[in-house]
Amino acid sequence: MAETDIVIEICGSSGEGTISAGEILARHMSGLGFEILSFDSYPSEIRGFGKCVAHCRISNKKIMSPGKYTDILIALNDIHSISQLSSMKEDGIIIYDSKPPSFHEEDKSIAGWIEPGITAYGIPFYNLAQKATGNSRNRNIVALGALAALFGINDNGFKASIKQRYASKKRSIIESNLNSFAEGFNWTKNNITKLDNLFFEKPEPGKTALKRLMMSGNQAFAQGALDSNLYLYAGYPITPATKIMEILAKELPKRGGIMIQTEDELSAIGNVIGAGFAGKRAMTATSGPGFCLMTELSGLSVMAEVPAVIVNSQRGGPSTGLPTKTEQSDLNLALAGGSGDSQRIILAPADIKECYKCACLAFYLAEKFQTLVVVLLDFFLSNSIRNIKAPEKPDKKMLNANLAPSQDEINDYKRFKVTKNGISPRSIPGTAGGMFIATGLEHDEKGKPSYTAEAHKKMSDKRYRKLSGVLKEIPHPEWIGPKKNIKIGILTWGSTAGAAHEATLKAGEMGIRAAFMQPMLISPFPVKQIKEFSDQCEIILVPELNYEGQFAGYIAKYLERPIKRLNMITGLPMSAEDILDEICRIAG
Amino acid sequence: MQKKDHYVIIGNGPAGNKAAEIFRENDKNARVTIISDEGFPFYYRHKLFDFLSGKITDDSLQVKKYLDYKKNNIRLRLGQTVTKIDPANRILFLKHMEKIGYTNLILATGGTRSIIPSLAGFEKYFSFMTSYNEALALKPVLDGIKKAIVIGGDLISIKFIKMLINMGKDVSFFLCKEGFWPIELTGKMSENIASRMEKEKIRTILDDYPVNIVQTGAGYEIITEKGKKIKGDIIFYFTGLKPDIAFIKGSGIDTAKGVLVDKYLKTNYKNIYACGDCAQIYNPEFKDYWISTGWENATLQGETAALNLLGEHKIIKPVPQKILEVEGIKVNTSWWKEIQE
Repeated sequence: MAETDIVIEICGSSGEGTISAGEILARHMSGLGFEILSFDSYPSEIRGFGKCVAHCRISNKKIMSPGKYTDILIALNDIHSISQLSSMKEDGIIIYDSKPPSFHEEDKSIAGWIEPGITAYGIPFYNLAQKATGNSRNRNIVALGALAALFGINDNGFKASIKQRYASKKRSIIESNLNSFAEGFNWTKNNITKLDNLFFEKPEPGKTALKRLMMSGNQAFAQGALDSNLYLYAGYPITPATKIMEILAKELPKRGGIMIQTEDELSAIGNVIGAGFAGKRAMTATSGPGFCLMTELSGLSVMAEVPAVIVNSQRGGPSTGLPTKTEQSDLNLALAGGSGDSQRIILAPADIKECYKCACLAFYLAEKFQTLVVVLLDFFLSNSIRNIKAPEKPDKKMLNANLAPSQDEINDYKRFKVTKNGISPRSIPGTAGGMFIATGLEHDEKGKPSYTAEAHKKMSDKRYRKLSGVLKEIPHPEWIGPKKNIKIGILTWGSTAGAAHEATLKAGEMGIRAAFMQPMLISPFPVKQIKEFSDQCEIILVPELNYEGQFAGYIAKYLERPIKRLNMITGLPMSAEDILDEICRIAG
Repeated sequence: MQKKDHYVIIGNGPAGNKAAEIFRENDKNARVTIISDEGFPFYYRHKLFDFLSGKITDDSLQVKKYLDYKKNNIRLRLGQTVTKIDPANRILFLKHMEKIGYTNLILATGGTRSIIPSLAGFEKYFSFMTSYNEALALKPVLDGIKKAIVIGGDLISIKFIKMLINMGKDVSFFLCKEGFWPIELTGKMSENIASRMEKEKIRTILDDYPVNIVQTGAGYEIITEKGKKIKGDIIFYFTGLKPDIAFIKGSGIDTAKGVLVDKYLKTNYKNIYACGDCAQIYNPEFKDYWISTGWENATLQGETAALNLLGEHKIIKPVPQKILEVEGIKVNTSWWKEIQE
């Protein structure tokens, strides 16, 4: 079977339906059985200007990263699309509006920049949308019609997907979209001679029958939280985490839960710790600027040993930074943000499936280890969409991990009892005899404030000791590639892992002995497994999306060896091609 | 800061490329742009048959690689069609709705296919071999063709027919006297050519003429004036070229068969020159216009037009007579349809 691995970008201005068109395309192709990885890039301004790009990789093989170079660019807006030309393949294809309503000034028309090798199809989007609907609003759907006609995608199936997308809308809206699609499809069929050889090969038989869910990282995390019996969400909206709040605002009340939009992030984490203290599973989601504010109070979760879950979906920083651009630059903040020695659990999922898994783990670990759990997503991971198999729901053990005190323990209740594994029996307010003092001050075993060196040492030991148990709860990171005599070992974290994994496999195909490992658990760090991996590698390469190499710096203290860094801060996810180039450069 | 001059050349053949080269050599700061409606970079048109038959790849077909233009800071706009010129405001309008300003303009659009008026209604049934795109489209279907019909004929069509014969195709050849190019055949010449073609087992129809063409399944049937029916899988059409100037008409630039220019290749606008197959050049000696054909002439005219636009006063002279050989018959040709048998 011929391989299909095609990257499509739809580029337009805010309000032109760019993202909607990308979503319809991704869902339809997923329904046909293709692997999908889509990712939208849009301006932080709401509407009226600014570039939007819907990026979608469609393949009939397993894919792990969004793909760096574009095969097909659909230009809904010429000026914005010109800036996308640099990421096109040399033999790529452009579909553009051949008859916009007015003339472009010199060099502001995408058709004027088409280089030899590129195949360009001019389709009168504007005129066809006018014909179909009486206005130009459906140029995006006309473009999808043209795309279907050019690359052999069945039009009836596509129309069904469009109908489904607008099912909740008025009939006239559904019809105008269907008419626009038909205009684009039929005009292209009748007027365009195909000059390229690109077609969507059908996926393996049976793949279409697979039950797949289209999910973004934020959706997967929110679903994982709901399936983990989340009771309270408190938060203040911020890109790129807001979607989690929107989903939970809708879903939590249906399940008897609560969603509170607080006045600021400090209040949000206060609510979460309060609910956690009361024995309810609670979380907040924010981004770097909001996480900074939360650090003022998040230490209380560590000191008072109260379960709390914070999602930090990272974006470009510092300060308000780049709200709609992706980056992995809050690692240092997550590791050390806050006062004192406040070790916490940090999880960093690599993909959509792991977002769900990390949600379930976060609540379990927070409850079991009675502390703060920070989950690091990023703009790309939060917003990228994949079609995944339905994830496995958390089992009973994961849904109730609180170590309740025994009757004997209640008789002389010590909330912060020093135990061998560092975990103390925790009574929920209202438990008869289970009263204790909860405080952010250092304390003794009963919670009574105590500032002695002995108490501080004993309690600090206990708080650190209990976290070593976390390592037993998380599966060991998977080792991809050869086990010995490795030329280049790639270690990375979070959403860069997909690209690194793909680059490692490609390097292997090229005869380079490369291997790859990505720990989902960042803190406490799985030193043993990572060190075993490192010991087999001649060179360690750490690709990540920040300026100074925060993860490389973090692991250096454990590995005690030179580490090569590959850092990018383009606002876009790192691609497999970027990492492969670096592997090849190092391998010579 | 003074705005840079923008030299725009419409046409990516030998005349246009030579002009671009001259502009770049003589004005390092100016913007130089070539616009061509063909999507393929500057290529040897006479090698299209070799490309079609698979003797050469498209790499060998190209005269200049795209990177050469980049290196020389020449903007190459391929696959872009100029639909209108506004000489008063020095603006070009492109089919994809872009306006391009210029300070100086060279028209080097070359020739486009010419169809005998009585057969124009059947154009949709014809396959042409005048451009890279046409050759590219024919490439995958050529193997499946068993019987080909060739109408008209020009100097290169005879080479094409021989290629088809070498590929084992059955060929019927309508030799149209009025459609031969760049010369008009006399009766004697036609007979000689037909006789030589027949010797090579090419069925040549000389005194009969297509009056109707119908599609028959996957092929075609030509009905002739004398009632003959000739069937084929494909009909190739060759009756030469005519200056490609349709988009210039109505702009205010003087045209007749081609773009009318003086002996310096200047049009009636001081900043617009024309050269190559599209230019109709005034000869003060004969007090008439002439059009030349051929690679060398086009290159010379491209150079002359560009230098004159830059301030020189070079006069272009009628090209010397050139002897062409068609199936062993020698013909002299220098001017547009000037024949010396």
